Amino acid sequence: MLLNQFLLLGAILFAIGVYGVVARRNAVLVLMSIELILNSVNINLLAFALRNGGDPTGHTFALYVIAVAAAEVGVGLALVLLVYRNRRSIALDELSEMKG
Amino acid sequence: MHLLLSPMQQTDKLISPSVNWGSLTPLLVLLGAGLVLLVGAALSARGWAKGLYATLTAAAAVAAGVLQFVLWNSTVHHGPKSLVGEALVVDGPSLFIGISICAALLLAALVTDDYLRREDIDSPEVYGLYLMAALGGLVMAASNDLIVLFLGLEVLSIALYVLAASHRKRIESQEAGLKYFILGGFSSAFFLYGVALVYGATGTTRLRGPESIKTALALTVETDKHRALLVVGVALLLVGLAFKVAAVPFHSWTPDVYQGAPTPVTGFMASAAKAAAFGALLRSVVLSMPELRDDWRPAIWVLAILTLVIGSTLAVVQTNVKRMLAYSSISHAGFILVGIEAAAHGGESGDRGIASVLFYVLTYAVLVSGTFAVSTLVGRSGDGAHGLDSYRGLGRQRPVLALALAVFLLAQAGVPLTSGFVAKFSVITAAADASSYAIAIIAMLAAVIGAFLYLRIIVSMFLEDGDAEGERVSIPFGTGAAIGISVAFTLVVGFFPGWLLELARDAATRLY
Amino acid sequence: MLTDQNWVLSVGVFLPLAGVLVMMFIPKSDELLVKFVGLLAALATLGIGIYTLAEFDYGQAEKLQFAVNTSWIDVIHSRYIVGLDGLSLPLYILSMVITVLVMIYSWNHVPSPGNPKAFYMLMLVLQVGMAGTFVAQDLVLFFVFFEIVLLPMYFMIGVWGGENRQYASLKFFLYTMFGSAFMLVAFLALFFKTGGTTFSMTQLADLVQQKYAEGGLTSTTMNLIFAGMALGFAVKVPMFPFHTWLPDAHTQAPTQGSVILAAILLKLGTYGFVRIALPILPQAAKVFAPWIGLLSVIGIIYGAWCCLAQTDMKRLIAFSSVAHMGFVMLGISTLTSYGINAAMFGMVAHGLITGMLFFVAGSVKDRYHTLEIKRLSGMLKQVPKLGWIMGFAAMASLGLPGLAGFWGEFPAILSAFEPAKGNVDLAIGPLSVNLYRTFMIIASIGTVFAAGYLLWLYQRTAFGTPTAEFAGLGADADDQDDHAHGAHDAHEGAEDTGHADGHHEKLHDVGIFEWIAWAPMLAAIVFFGVYPQAMFKVFDPAVSLISKKFGG
Repeated sequence: MLLNQFLLLGAILFAIGVYGVVARRNAVLVLMSIELILNSVNINLLAFALRNGGDPTGHTFALYVIAVAAAEVGVGLALVLLVYRNRRSIALDELSEMKG
Repeated sequence: MHLLLSPMQQTDKLISPSVNWGSLTPLLVLLGAGLVLLVGAALSARGWAKGLYATLTAAAAVAAGVLQFVLWNSTVHHGPKSLVGEALVVDGPSLFIGISICAALLLAALVTDDYLRREDIDSPEVYGLYLMAALGGLVMAASNDLIVLFLGLEVLSIALYVLAASHRKRIESQEAGLKYFILGGFSSAFFLYGVALVYGATGTTRLRGPESIKTALALTVETDKHRALLVVGVALLLVGLAFKVAAVPFHSWTPDVYQGAPTPVTGFMASAAKAAAFGALLRSVVLSMPELRDDWRPAIWVLAILTLVIGSTLAVVQTNVKRMLAYSSISHAGFILVGIEAAAHGGESGDRGIASVLFYVLTYAVLVSGTFAVSTLVGRSGDGAHGLDSYRGLGRQRPVLALALAVFLLAQAGVPLTSGFVAKFSVITAAADASSYAIAIIAMLAAVIGAFLYLRIIVSMFLEDGDAEGERVSIPFGTGAAIGISVAFTLVVGFFPGWLLELARDAATRLY
Repeated sequence: MLTDQNWVLSVGVFLPLAGVLVMMFIPKSDELLVKFVGLLAALATLGIGIYTLAEFDYGQAEKLQFAVNTSWIDVIHSRYIVGLDGLSLPLYILSMVITVLVMIYSWNHVPSPGNPKAFYMLMLVLQVGMAGTFVAQDLVLFFVFFEIVLLPMYFMIGVWGGENRQYASLKFFLYTMFGSAFMLVAFLALFFKTGGTTFSMTQLADLVQQKYAEGGLTSTTMNLIFAGMALGFAVKVPMFPFHTWLPDAHTQAPTQGSVILAAILLKLGTYGFVRIALPILPQAAKVFAPWIGLLSVIGIIYGAWCCLAQTDMKRLIAFSSVAHMGFVMLGISTLTSYGINAAMFGMVAHGLITGMLFFVAGSVKDRYHTLEIKRLSGMLKQVPKLGWIMGFAAMASLGLPGLAGFWGEFPAILSAFEPAKGNVDLAIGPLSVNLYRTFMIIASIGTVFAAGYLLWLYQRTAFGTPTAEFAGLGADADDQDDHAHGAHDAHEGAEDTGHADGHHEKLHDVGIFEWIAWAPMLAAIVFFGVYPQAMFKVFDPAVSLISKKFGG
């Protein structure tokens, strides 16, 4: 059964994604890391759907996730661009207008 | 190979569900208004008359609210029901939270109109995004399927990311948008991973009703096999939702985002988004996984206590009022979590807990909308005057406005004869009923610490010498109306809380 | 015959709010009208109070009279239950009287930074909370009123207080809220442990015994609930380890605030013990009584010692409050009819006497702009009437027989000779006689201290010759004008307390508004000192009802 391998792959991608979000300071790379997590979710969903005898729920869900991820990237890149235009930098740790 | 083909073989068995359009009207109204705004404004060359966007938004909010009242009556007579193949439900909690969101939308629309004029921003998109966010919130509160819940969550969140960044002239606003986006996206991803695991363990994403997660969990033999998967999944779900409700330790985005976002948007975030997220928490975990409560209730307990204590203590050391209110909203989230913890006990005390959560969510939504409405005005043009200094002497300069803010702050502190007291009281009552005395006492003590913060603002408004810095605060009509409505609601519920408590109780028992 | 005039209490409690509403529409600049309306509202309220006094059936003082029991918040089973019995009547009236007197005193004594409108409105709101607490017979209603009191007092200290007002007001607020937190949870625990049907005090008292007999309520639970309540009340009293807010609050509060605080607010705590904690949870009360007694005597001695160490007159009076409330709590802790009666009397007496002392301290501060004991001297020479009044109040405070203070203090000590014997029906054992007799001895030593610090205070401030700083400014003034100038410079930096005439140099004696405000209190101190029975017979029936549970 391939299930475990798929799940393992998903978990590894998830872990890489989380690491990327936490450790990277470049906003675009962080964005990509989030995408990585979403894709690990997709792999999981498909694997589980297969395990459940090709349950359409999992496949449908994966399609939704792909669509939502696309929307999210669109908005995210727009925000990054907005900040870049003003600051000429997309390093997250330089976002320091607010402190408390 | 046959595994990959199997979904296609099943396609002939897929039947499209019957859609009860009547029960979907609140959602359709918001969606329709949002689309009209976005498309209409984009097509008309010269833009619409000033104020029309806000009027349409407010009208849509009122219409959606009224329609939900109508649906409420129908649930009274015909009981709660599910729609669109069990994907959505129309029941007590969903309608109650939906109405809270519509109230928040109405207040936000009123305030935003004046705000955009003052800041000289001409953007119908803002209202379109408000409507979409509210739509997403309504879907979250009414979802009976994790896929639908996720869609609602994303619709709400993506709209809010843009809203937070919508003040193009303020660099803080853009930073807030980006920060919110990164952390929001991160938390959504966690949530999603949790959904995937829960789906893997139970084989379904439906929450309640036949063939749902709830029924799957009841068959312990089945789920025991995947218990680890399930527990990790629920933990990730909780992390994702805790981000959205700003529970400690997943709160770190809140102060920055609340401070940076345009003030009316902050108010909307604190009211509508919080209401929706608590609705989702209630639906996805508390109501659908009671069998697993021994695993997740301790987590809620810890979250509640951390949120209460850290939220109220950190609030005290702030000097920026928007930041203070951000931390105070964190501590309010802690109070609602106390109610959730009580709801987790199930049975009659569980109903009391649900009712207290619903009551708190509604009263807090109105309260915080009013508070941020005042803060919008005090921010003055440029939306930058949010230091405690800017409030100094407000009592002399604008006594009525200062009095209104005092009412909101006292209510947030939980002073008797305000809605905030009744809300806190009902949450504590629920906790006591569930025998969670420790958490009840900690909540009360957090309220004491929190009271210090609100008094600080009141003191600087009324007691400290010196005049408010900068220009005189002006009070335009729309914002004034929003503040008036909020004050009236806060006091009426404070003096006569019976009817609303009863409604909340009804809602809690009328569950799909 | 019990009267069925059920409107009396609701009107009596909420009438001041009508005054507040009217005052809202009066412009702030029209100070005279503002004060007039405020005083009128308070007087009208007092009128209702006097009507209540007249209509009260003293033959059945143990029963709740003018009772109203109507639905309020059905969902949480909280009802609007108010009623008045012999226990609450004197305190209820006292709150009205004090409010009126304080308002009269404020007529030309609105402390800096002025704004009589807000000041009078706060006093009226305060009055609502105080009166409401004394008539509420439902725990939630009680809690609401108990909390309402907090805010006006917070603002009174925070706005009109002395230099350290922010710190003091906050400390006051946080301490009391801290206590309330435990109290509320205890109330709720009580509610749910008795079946979650009612918050009514009388019904709860029965339910607790019923559940206890059935075994549905263990004594551990009862003890915990009692502890929660006791914490809330003890902070308000304040009892020994929780007293630290009191000196700060008193010292920083404006005179009016100090008077109300001493006269009424502290009583909310002791009243809570007698009205709620003791009758509803007698078994637990018996368990905690020795500890309460212990803390009380510690408070008596500790308060007295602290008094001896004070250099500030107001702070000294504040610490004397700690000692006096210790006597009250000692009386309560004996759980006997004798002791609780003494405690109830002590509450009213302390309210009158300490209130009076704070008034005097306020007037001293007004004239000398200082309360430092070592800078004050020879008041009898400079402001003889004020000096004499202060002497009178000090004598009353140290418990001179023939004045009201005596009847609060002496019987309280005496009651410790014979603490409650226990009640077999309720499974309440007797209290340790030896322990209480030890308390009695310690408390008697406390009275010696009390005489010591009060006489010492009086001697240092009233006797002797005026200090150089103030010499020649009072009634003894004739030729020392240059000194006067120096003194004026000395308090240039101090806050202007809003004298109408602006002549700080001259020390004038007791003024007309002071006389009007003080005369009733002085008269009452003498009257109840000579004829204590007038009050005892009101308390006694209701007190006996409580003490019966402990076999007293």
